[in-house]
Amino acid sequence: MSRFLRTAGEGSDDESSEEEEEELSDDDDDDEEKEEQKKVPGSRFLKGADSDSESEEEEKKVVKSAKDKRVEEIEACAKSMDNALKINDWVKISDDYDKLIRLVQRQVLVNEATPPLYIKTLVDLESSLNAALAKEKTASKKMQANNARALNAMRSKLRKTLKESEDQVKLYQEDPEAFERAYQAQQAPEVVPTPAVKAKKVRVELEDEEEGGDGDEFTTVGKGGKALSFTADQVLKTLAAVSEARGKKNTDRAEQSRILEKLAEAAGTTYQEIRVLLALISSRFDYNPMATFMPLDAWASAKGEIDQLVKVLMADPQYAVVEDVTLEYSDLDERAPTKEVPVVRIRGSVISFVDRLDDEFTRSLQNIDPHGQEYVERLKDERGLYETICRAQMYFEQKDEGESAARVAYRRLDHIYSKPDVLIQALEQGVVTAIPEFSQSPSSLSVTGSSAVLIDALCKQLYKSGQPFLRTRAMLSHIYHHALANNFETARDMMLMSHLQDSIHAADAGTQILYNRAVVQLGLAAFRQGLVREAHSILQEIFSTQRVKELLAQGLHQQRYGVILTPEQEKSDRARQMPFHMHINLELLEAAFLVSCMLVEVPTLASLDTEEQRRKAASKPFRRLLDYAERQVFMGPPEHTRDHIMQASRALQDGEWEKCRDLIEGMKVWSLIGNEKQVKEMLAQRIQEEGVRTYLFTFAPYYTTVSLELLSKTFSLSVRSVTSIVSKMIWNEELAASLDQETGVVVFTRTELTRVQQLAQALADRVSNLVESNEKALDAKLGGGPEARGPGEGGKTGERKEGGATGAGGERRFDRTRTQRTGAARTGTGFRGERFSQGLGNNRVGGAQNAGARTRVAA
Amino acid sequence: MATYDLTQRMIPYLDRHLALPLLAHVSELSIFPAKQLQEAQYELARRTNMVDYSVSLFEQLHPSDEVPEEFGSKRSNVETTNERLQKEAQVVLDVIENPEVAQALRQDKMQNLNYLREKHNLTHEEINALYHFGQFQYTYGNYSGAAQFLYHFLVLSTDPELNLSAQWGKLASDILSGDWQTAKDELDRLREAIDNRSTSLVPAASAGVGIDSASSTALAQLQGRTWYLHWSLFVYFNHPEGRHALLEVFLSPAYLNTIQTSCPWILRYLAAAAVISRKTATSGRIRHAVKEVVRVVQMENYQYHDPITDFLKMLFIDFDFEAAQKELGEAEKLIENDFFLQNFKDEFLDNARYFISEAYCRIHRQIDIADLSARLNLSRSEGEKWIVNLIRDTRMGADAKIDLSRNIIVIDKPHAPVYQSVIERTRGLSFRTQALGVAMQRRAMGEAVQRGGGGDRRPRGDRGDRGAADREREQQQEHLVPPAPAAVEVA
Repeated sequence: MSRFLRTAGEGSDDESSEEEEEELSDDDDDDEEKEEQKKVPGSRFLKGADSDSESEEEEKKVVKSAKDKRVEEIEACAKSMDNALKINDWVKISDDYDKLIRLVQRQVLVNEATPPLYIKTLVDLESSLNAALAKEKTASKKMQANNARALNAMRSKLRKTLKESEDQVKLYQEDPEAFERAYQAQQAPEVVPTPAVKAKKVRVELEDEEEGGDGDEFTTVGKGGKALSFTADQVLKTLAAVSEARGKKNTDRAEQSRILEKLAEAAGTTYQEIRVLLALISSRFDYNPMATFMPLDAWASAKGEIDQLVKVLMADPQYAVVEDVTLEYSDLDERAPTKEVPVVRIRGSVISFVDRLDDEFTRSLQNIDPHGQEYVERLKDERGLYETICRAQMYFEQKDEGESAARVAYRRLDHIYSKPDVLIQALEQGVVTAIPEFSQSPSSLSVTGSSAVLIDALCKQLYKSGQPFLRTRAMLSHIYHHALANNFETARDMMLMSHLQDSIHAADAGTQILYNRAVVQLGLAAFRQGLVREAHSILQEIFSTQRVKELLAQGLHQQRYGVILTPEQEKSDRARQMPFHMHINLELLEAAFLVSCMLVEVPTLASLDTEEQRRKAASKPFRRLLDYAERQVFMGPPEHTRDHIMQASRALQDGEWEKCRDLIEGMKVWSLIGNEKQVKEMLAQRIQEEGVRTYLFTFAPYYTTVSLELLSKTFSLSVRSVTSIVSKMIWNEELAASLDQETGVVVFTRTELTRVQQLAQALADRVSNLVESNEKALDAKLGGGPEARGPGEGGKTGERKEGGATGAGGERRFDRTRTQRTGAARTGTGFRGERFSQGLGNNRVGGAQNAGARTRVAA
Repeated sequence: MATYDLTQRMIPYLDRHLALPLLAHVSELSIFPAKQLQEAQYELARRTNMVDYSVSLFEQLHPSDEVPEEFGSKRSNVETTNERLQKEAQVVLDVIENPEVAQALRQDKMQNLNYLREKHNLTHEEINALYHFGQFQYTYGNYSGAAQFLYHFLVLSTDPELNLSAQWGKLASDILSGDWQTAKDELDRLREAIDNRSTSLVPAASAGVGIDSASSTALAQLQGRTWYLHWSLFVYFNHPEGRHALLEVFLSPAYLNTIQTSCPWILRYLAAAAVISRKTATSGRIRHAVKEVVRVVQMENYQYHDPITDFLKMLFIDFDFEAAQKELGEAEKLIENDFFLQNFKDEFLDNARYFISEAYCRIHRQIDIADLSARLNLSRSEGEKWIVNLIRDTRMGADAKIDLSRNIIVIDKPHAPVYQSVIERTRGLSFRTQALGVAMQRRAMGEAVQRGGGGDRRPRGDRGDRGAADREREQQQEHLVPPAPAAVEVA
């Protein structure tokens, strides 16, 4: 639009309507901006997006000739009013008057003094109005109706306006000449303004002036000429003025940053430098609060300035930036360390800057398209950010500020906990090259040796810090990292000893997400190590919610069940999303889960006789997929992960373990798992074993004896391991059979149950269920619960874990006893199911429903 | 065998004096360089007040060197201190050995203190002198004397810290003087003290100081339990009833957690004890003990394993009899060398063989005698004898027969009819329901309900768990002396 409008506008002249003219000047400004600020790319886009707010654009006029233009406009307006007065056209006067008022208001908005002409016009208008009214009364011939109405309206309007600017009118009436002169004085650049108008305006004026003036002078500073003319006093004063304007509606933030930048160059003493840097960094962060993330260049300069600030502070320990300064001091005084006060404390907070910088980095990653080059470019900045964080950590450790050191240590941990060893090495290497002193710091990689030890050291530091929030986060990050490094047992022990399952529901969403991530990673670690049962039980928890994406903050909530999110909820959801590079691959996760489901549940399903039992035994997601696959009339070659696993499951059910193995190994997703070869070997072996089990369960009714040798040949296992598998099944009474050593066969002793017998058993089951639930209900009513039963319970729970008949046997074993590990107090509490935090759902309507459903699952 | 030696892992949790016999034992085995062991022994002894012993060790170690002077001064020092402390303690001893006083003393410690203070001018400091003297005697190896003084101190003192310390001291003295019965009693008291310590201290801590002190109490408790686990081995493997007590204590959740958390090597002794006490205890509980141990062993396999735990793992988890046999051979050597287990070698082997043959017989229906003998590490004729004894001794007798013409054992196990399992499952239901009714009635009457803590009342998990439990009961039914019906447990 602007282009066309401008060509049109250039043709027409001052006559063009005012609105047009405004837009025009906007565009002009924009263009000028562009030329002037080529060194600041990026900001232009933002400006474009923001142009309807207008405030910014108008401000540009302050520095441009637009200022004069406006004065001219006012003059023109006053003139036309004058003319209208002469012909007594009150309608026109009223219009013009409105326009004038608007212009003047704009003038006020941009912090410029109203020209005396305005006051003069007002005064003149008043007198002529009175005259007109008097004349009207006496005149025999009435005015035209609309003219008279306009006159009356004008009278009331004028009265109001006059009242508003009473003092100025008075001043003017007393001495019009002096008033004029005062205005001139204000406008003149060299002269320090006298407090002629309101006090507030003076300050604003001062700033404006210095903006202009300083700008000139600073360019000369660059040339090395007048640097000395900047006394300390002036730097601080300017700083005060800038910070005064900060946060006001029409302050030009970009301009402020620019001034501060120059001030930072000019600052003479450490004190000044620190003060200016503090102001500058805040102004950078303030720059554009409405945008989704901070412009990258602003971020980069903020990072540089934080670095500088920390450097300055580290180099000169006589200055300290603290959040609460007890000693009151004036912003305008230069301060230096003295004997009485050896350390100058300055109000500010380095840690919040670092926090903010890190947050902004994450926000930018959340909002940049992860598949573009830009994302990769942005990701490269992490190295610099990590340096800043390490530097800050060194500073805080040097200062011995425990709390801030802990916070910054957590930031650091947050950057490395999900990374593999190589990346951490690279990051650390970068820090050491940037900050050579860092290699002596106790928490650097060169001191700790390996990344695991580094993370361990960071976590231990955080555990010692008194903040429960940081402790929890550190614990979870630690677990995550252990799981990532395949230390499943350690990670599991830590998870269970932390007792986080019990309290995670009360934690904030971010921590819950981290918890979910840690648990999922734990499941993957178990899978990688071939602990299929553990992996199955861990991953099942999260997959049964069917909200994996959301629970891991790797995708937004799907609109279901008619739950509609408010924009705020959606926004906060969005803000919690994990940046793409930290995602856990969902396809891999699903593959791991489904494969472990297959290995655990296919034999279980085969071992059960009735359809009803089967329905209960299998986990829902797997069961549903399997049913769906069975209903298919025609099965094409597998395309994606699920297809592969479903077809493999069917093959396993049919005893075709080789086909099953080939299908599973053919999945491309394994290339992401790390130790691909090992995992595949493990899977192949598992498939063989489970194949034997499934085969025996499925076909036992049709044989009286099966030779072990045949089994071993069919499944390519050694006779010894087949014997071991069969023995185990017999021992656990999964299989009604016995081995005949002499002939080397399995003899099945299974008896078919008649219908009546089956029913009798089912009935007996139900009745005992009923009694149990009655007992439970009574227990709950009478209080006490399982804890009241005394410490013997813990030992007793153990006896029934040897079952292993169902898939549940193994996983329970894992959980129940471990939960009790350190807790002397929690003996005997039955395991309540490893809980998954509901994550984002908690504060929602739908969350409650889901939580309810989940408790049922766990129970 | 040095790889399986636990001495180095255990010593940090033992007292100086308790470590000495361990070291002495290890030096007999010659699996470590003798020189190093001597040095270690010397280092241990040097810090105690056992001057003569230290000197002799030093002379062994450095036959040519002069004995350092410090020992001379130390000796005189020890003697004077001993006299001084004895004098102080004698005051108290005189009072309390007075029969009149002994009669006047009651259970209530506070009252006793008041009584002693009023009648005999005994102050806290003087009573503490008993403690100091006891401790001092301990340092120069007069264990029975130390035990005696510490006993008197424990009777009188009310200071919780010193009391705990005195209890440890008393235990060590009893152990070292070989007084197992007293030591066992002392162990029980000590365990009580450790377990109660948390409950008495935690509320106070959480009220005032917050998390840190609470966690430090937990830490202290963990440490206490770890020590307990190590020290008690001396008693449990020497006292005739020790193994049962060991199983009972070590398998209680708190101690099991401690083993898993801080000292997984104790699993060896737990496993060994579980195997050894198969015959002697009431069979039901020990079967569970073995199962429980197997479960823990499997879980901790990544942290700790040795031939004994591997034996259990191979036998009950992998059912690999060949490997189990191999591990058993290793375990035999290990036990010969183990300080605590050396006296139990035969018992262990015997019971381990029993476990193997039991598992073997349950799984097989026809067994080659030669094969089974090989599995048991026995020769052919020995094996036959063993099997005959096995069949004779156990309830397998009805099912198993030896067929010598083919050299096999034939096991004909009748499987339980369906009706029996239904009966099993429904047995006791009506009684349990009745119990429910009674409980509700009592509640209605406003009485405090005393529920019988029978195992059957525990809340059960899903079907799988229950199935396992039921099978469990069937197994018992089948193989063991029939247990009392489940319902009876619910009193």
